[in-house]
Amino acid sequence: MGDYYDIDDILAEEDFVPVQFHKAVNGVKIDESSERGFVEQDSKAELPFWLARGLHLQQAISIKVPACFNRNTRLEIEADAGSVDLRSRCSYFYEFGCKVAPFCDKSIGLLVSYTFKARYKEVLYKAHTKAFAAASKIMNFLTKEETNLYEAAQSSMAAFRKWRMGGPRLQRASILGRKRKPAE
Amino acid sequence: MAGQSGSQLSLFTPDEVEFVAEDELVEIVPNLRMDSLNFICGDYGPFYPQIAIQVPLWLALALKKRGKCTIRPPQWMSIENLTQVLEGERESHAFQTLPFHYVEISRLLFDRARDDIPDVYMVRSLVEDIRDVRFHKVETNLENFTNSSLVLQWKNMAAMEVNIIRAFSGRALQAFYRHENEQAVPDLDRTQDRQPQNLNDRPRVCRSFCCIPIFPLHHWIDKIVFISCLLDYCPTIVFLWRAYCLFVVPLQRNLRPR
Repeated sequence: MGDYYDIDDILAEEDFVPVQFHKAVNGVKIDESSERGFVEQDSKAELPFWLARGLHLQQAISIKVPACFNRNTRLEIEADAGSVDLRSRCSYFYEFGCKVAPFCDKSIGLLVSYTFKARYKEVLYKAHTKAFAAASKIMNFLTKEETNLYEAAQSSMAAFRKWRMGGPRLQRASILGRKRKPAE
Repeated sequence: MAGQSGSQLSLFTPDEVEFVAEDELVEIVPNLRMDSLNFICGDYGPFYPQIAIQVPLWLALALKKRGKCTIRPPQWMSIENLTQVLEGERESHAFQTLPFHYVEISRLLFDRARDDIPDVYMVRSLVEDIRDVRFHKVETNLENFTNSSLVLQWKNMAAMEVNIIRAFSGRALQAFYRHENEQAVPDLDRTQDRQPQNLNDRPRVCRSFCCIPIFPLHHWIDKIVFISCLLDYCPTIVFLWRAYCLFVVPLQRNLRPR
């Protein structure tokens, strides 16, 4: 898994998951609307995943399937995985799915890997040669991981093209370009 | 940049791959008389006019720039051979046998030694065509990542092609590995995965696909020494590296991946 300090890991756990409380909790105010600082047993709320996991280990809550893995998304992915806009649902679709899967629904793991394979086949393997104009349209659909892959491919291809064009072997440092003020 | 750690993959720029490629031997025909040059990477014997001799490419290009030799294009760069290779590439799915650094060597020769190659435009267009066909094959192979196991082997890829897809394919393989692994063994407790990952399970890409040669330090040292020999000054540099190479040459020779 990721490192403790890895920023992508931290951001992936920020998303909310629906939970149901098994125990009553005192002294916290989960919902803005409730006036009392008290959460009853069997009430539903939305918590960020890092909090939900800690509470789950203490058996205080049970985690339900998050919104980005619900039935609608599954149907869309099965229909055409390459054009589903995953960024608007969840920027860290794959990582979040990997983390949530052991807690609520094992089939999320299968969904995630199926989605990745399908999107790879349709979109990502062409990353090296896509022209820039077409690329900007696709980029809005990709999650963070896929964007990393895509940009790695694009940048190495751009570096290769630049090398092939030739150009001066020595580059002038930018600091030398500044004009010096005449001494007064 | 070499060794750039964004995702623990080491990446090379195309200029660095070209630098490594300049170590290959080519044949030149000098037009001067010179004593033998003793470098860390080897001794290049006394130069007599009109006697062909094998030298590394960087030395050949330096001599050519000063007008002291003509470079003979390598065997594989003849029109017949390249036409044959191009047909072979178009017919089969496998990669044809070409020198590992053919892209860089051909580009360097076209840029610096254009008049030494017969039919340079034809040769150049053939090399470009071969490069396009091979890269297209690379892309087709990339599509088949999903069905494969953890070990991939593609034979006869060239250094520049490997370099282009190195970053992308490394990350893609890691992502596939992670998702397969999640399916197999979901980890429940975060404290358990503080243990260092078992490196033997990582996807291994076979040697012929992704070999990263050790960056040859002796290469640019030799260049500096050669220039100072030509200019006949700074004998202290010459003396220092002679002492240095007495101790380091055996080590270097053992370390170089050949």
